[in-house]
Amino acid sequence: MLEKSLAQKVLAEALRTGADLAEIYVEDVESLQLGIDDSRLETAMRGEDRGAGVRVFFGNLVTYAFTDSLDENSLMEAARAAAAAGRGTQQQAKTIDLTERKSQLEYPIRKPFDTLSIEDKVQLLSRMDEAARAYSPQIVQVTANYQQLRRQMWLFNSDGVQVEDDRFYTEVRAGVVAKRNGTLQRVREGFGGRVGLELLDDNDALAKVKNMCERAVQMLDARPCPAGEMTVVMCNGWGGVLFHEACGHQMEADFITKGSSAYAGKIGERVANPIITAIDDGTIPGRRGSLKFDDDGTPAQRTVLIEEGILKEYMWDLVEARRVGRDGSTGNGRRESYRHMPMPRMTNTFIDQGSHTPEEIIESVKRGVYIRDMAGGQADIAKGDFVFNATVAYLIEDGKLTAPLRGATIFGNGPQVLQEIDMVGNDLALDPGMGMCGKIQMARVSVGQPTIRIPRVTVGGTDDASASN
Amino acid sequence: MTDLLSLAQSVVQQAKAPGVEVEAIITHDVETQIKVSRGEVEQLSQSSSRGLGVRVIDGGRTGYAYTSDFSDEGIARTWRAARELAKVATADKYRGLPDASPISDEDLEIWDKRLPSVPTTEKIELLKRVERAAFDYDPRIILAEFCTYGDAVNHVYLANSRGFAQQYGRTTAYSYLMGIARGDDGGMVNAFGSGASNFFADLDPDAIGREAGEKAISILGGKPVETQTTTIVLDHAVGAEILSALALALSADDWQRKRSFLLDRLGQQVGSDMVTLMDNGRLKRGLASAPFDGEGVPTSATRLIDEGVLQNLMYDTYSARKDNKASSGNAQRAGHRSLPSLGPTNFYMQPGHQTRDEIIAGVKRGLYVVSVMQTGGIDPITGDCSMGANGLWIENGKITGPVGGVTIGTTLNDFLQNISEVGSDLRFIPLFGAIGVPTLRVDNVTIGGTK
Repeated sequence: MLEKSLAQKVLAEALRTGADLAEIYVEDVESLQLGIDDSRLETAMRGEDRGAGVRVFFGNLVTYAFTDSLDENSLMEAARAAAAAGRGTQQQAKTIDLTERKSQLEYPIRKPFDTLSIEDKVQLLSRMDEAARAYSPQIVQVTANYQQLRRQMWLFNSDGVQVEDDRFYTEVRAGVVAKRNGTLQRVREGFGGRVGLELLDDNDALAKVKNMCERAVQMLDARPCPAGEMTVVMCNGWGGVLFHEACGHQMEADFITKGSSAYAGKIGERVANPIITAIDDGTIPGRRGSLKFDDDGTPAQRTVLIEEGILKEYMWDLVEARRVGRDGSTGNGRRESYRHMPMPRMTNTFIDQGSHTPEEIIESVKRGVYIRDMAGGQADIAKGDFVFNATVAYLIEDGKLTAPLRGATIFGNGPQVLQEIDMVGNDLALDPGMGMCGKIQMARVSVGQPTIRIPRVTVGGTDDASASN
Repeated sequence: MTDLLSLAQSVVQQAKAPGVEVEAIITHDVETQIKVSRGEVEQLSQSSSRGLGVRVIDGGRTGYAYTSDFSDEGIARTWRAARELAKVATADKYRGLPDASPISDEDLEIWDKRLPSVPTTEKIELLKRVERAAFDYDPRIILAEFCTYGDAVNHVYLANSRGFAQQYGRTTAYSYLMGIARGDDGGMVNAFGSGASNFFADLDPDAIGREAGEKAISILGGKPVETQTTTIVLDHAVGAEILSALALALSADDWQRKRSFLLDRLGQQVGSDMVTLMDNGRLKRGLASAPFDGEGVPTSATRLIDEGVLQNLMYDTYSARKDNKASSGNAQRAGHRSLPSLGPTNFYMQPGHQTRDEIIAGVKRGLYVVSVMQTGGIDPITGDCSMGANGLWIENGKITGPVGGVTIGTTLNDFLQNISEVGSDLRFIPLFGAIGVPTLRVDNVTIGGTK
């Protein structure tokens, strides 16, 4: 994509004003999106996006300039723009010895994107739409979307790093709306990963859609969720979004070095119940957050964040690692595109396996809420407070799932909840692969966990009567 | 830069064929972003980028492709991809491009001719003042996260095979930060301050920094109250979250797809008589103002809810043809990488007469909500509305102390019906697009807290 000699020339230009590190990040993205809405194939879109960013480090000051053309003039201009902030002396021109590093990690694509025609992909979406509508006349709206994305990156820096990572992602999403009288319920779900079209062989899209319809129709009978403090059981897999939002972000190094995280300065301390081990692993085959190299050029790795309740490590990118003089990062530097600078981000993050069966956990609850599915969540960094909105939830009464509940929100404090989780299941699963995390920039991530029990947390709802009895 | 308009027209000429309609959009953006931390510049990013998007409608079937490659080959590859993709889409007789309408040359005041030449040093100084204002507000403000200044000079060039060919430029400058306060017990809270304008000179760094500081300090040490149903008063930023969901529920496209809690209630009283909701793409100095929308239709002002009565919906060309109406100029585009889709421009609630303090003084018992957290907790389809909240408790019209760790729950339906006061202090919140809302008082809201 970029000749080594040109990369060397651009890096030399970027270093001219006294920078201590310069980097070129080149990206080439190709995507295809197809979408059915209202039983019509309405979205048929191809995109290509190519460009490069030059990043220059002057101590803790980082400057960036990007361009959407890869010719020498544009790259040199970007290098000059990024270098312009330097006040230092002109460095002796030196040859930067770029050595290509190979990753030990492989993410093989069994079925390339072109092994199915566009018509076949459209056909899949049509069958999903038909399956949902055939499920029940109460299913009034269906959307189904397919996306394939190839994101190739090349990175060169003046420390001699030269890496590339050719990332393929495939994903399928669906949404169904069930309606009875004036009541509407919506269920959305998807599956995907850093994989090719084998995704479509490994997942039964039609069975998934029927299952979504079943839940949406069942939720039509949902009653308002009781409000107040109670025991909450969170499902395995996607339930891990709670840890991601409420604790994971607080372990990202940018919030640590500034001291805005509750976990700053707590390495070696007990931050969770000893039954909790939590891991960020950017090397799991086929997962959305998996990388060969991160967007700083650091090899992806598996990082144990919490081991049996003890805080072990944070998630570092290059900028934050340099800030504190740490020897390299943990491979968590990620960026949305060549138009962005990397920041510390999670990859595939999960709470590790525990000992209880999920049935034991539910049976242990006299009165509480079981959360089966969530629309997503948000957490505030400084305080660690989080809020999650359950889209599918059930009341637990005397150890059994009873009425479906609507409008359930759980609200609590991440670090506190982590101390309080008192049961962890033996059914560890990662999510189906549609997680997108927003922290100013968007990043593909996976989350996961076994079934867990939180003994007391605030549940928000619209029914305050049932909480007081 | 009229050569980019000619280029858009040339793409249309190349791609069109009998029975095939074509639209080309070219965007050219020059952007700056700066971050400071503790008085030092931490990040400085500058860029200039261009993109081309081609929409083809072939017998009612839509294909779309985009690129940043402006070589002859890249352009040809792009429009050919759009032509090919149209073949797999479903034919829909309502799909089509709008006829070319004359575009008024009225000055919408969205172009700051000074912005492109404001020196970077001046922007850095402004941002340092933003940060300083937060710290100066109170010594318990210990950090400012995400302390950012950004600006954009955007040019849009749009041409189609029905003879439309127009361009406009718009400038935006914004700044935001998250103030973090630490109390005596070591507990921390955070709150945002922000400001945005089409004009650099309109940014008030002291006000932005102070907002973050003041809000964070006010909620420091908040404790949950008991679960109850009571009155709440909503800060702008909180009201904006709810209004952005209402905007979705007022889109004709979502109605046609039966995705709105307001469905089939046109002409009915859907809110209290204090509620008047507007969408105005021609608002002077509006962050979302433009002479024409994402498919070349002149923008307009639409009264959606008038004194509580649902009067109109927002339309783009497609939804308008289905309902046999005129487009209200609400086709939105997120740059060249997306198809036009129906959405709000400057969407706001008409202000009332009381100040925020007067509204609070009128509340016997309730919660002034300063900040909320929600993701997907406000559903424009089901109308469910539930959020985590921080704020201040009100007793007999006086603020008595901070509240945290509670949820507020209502439905969008009840929210509209139970608005019992609208403030005079309309403000547009940039973090959520151009959503404008005054301070609001809402009754009968469930607060979830301790038992």
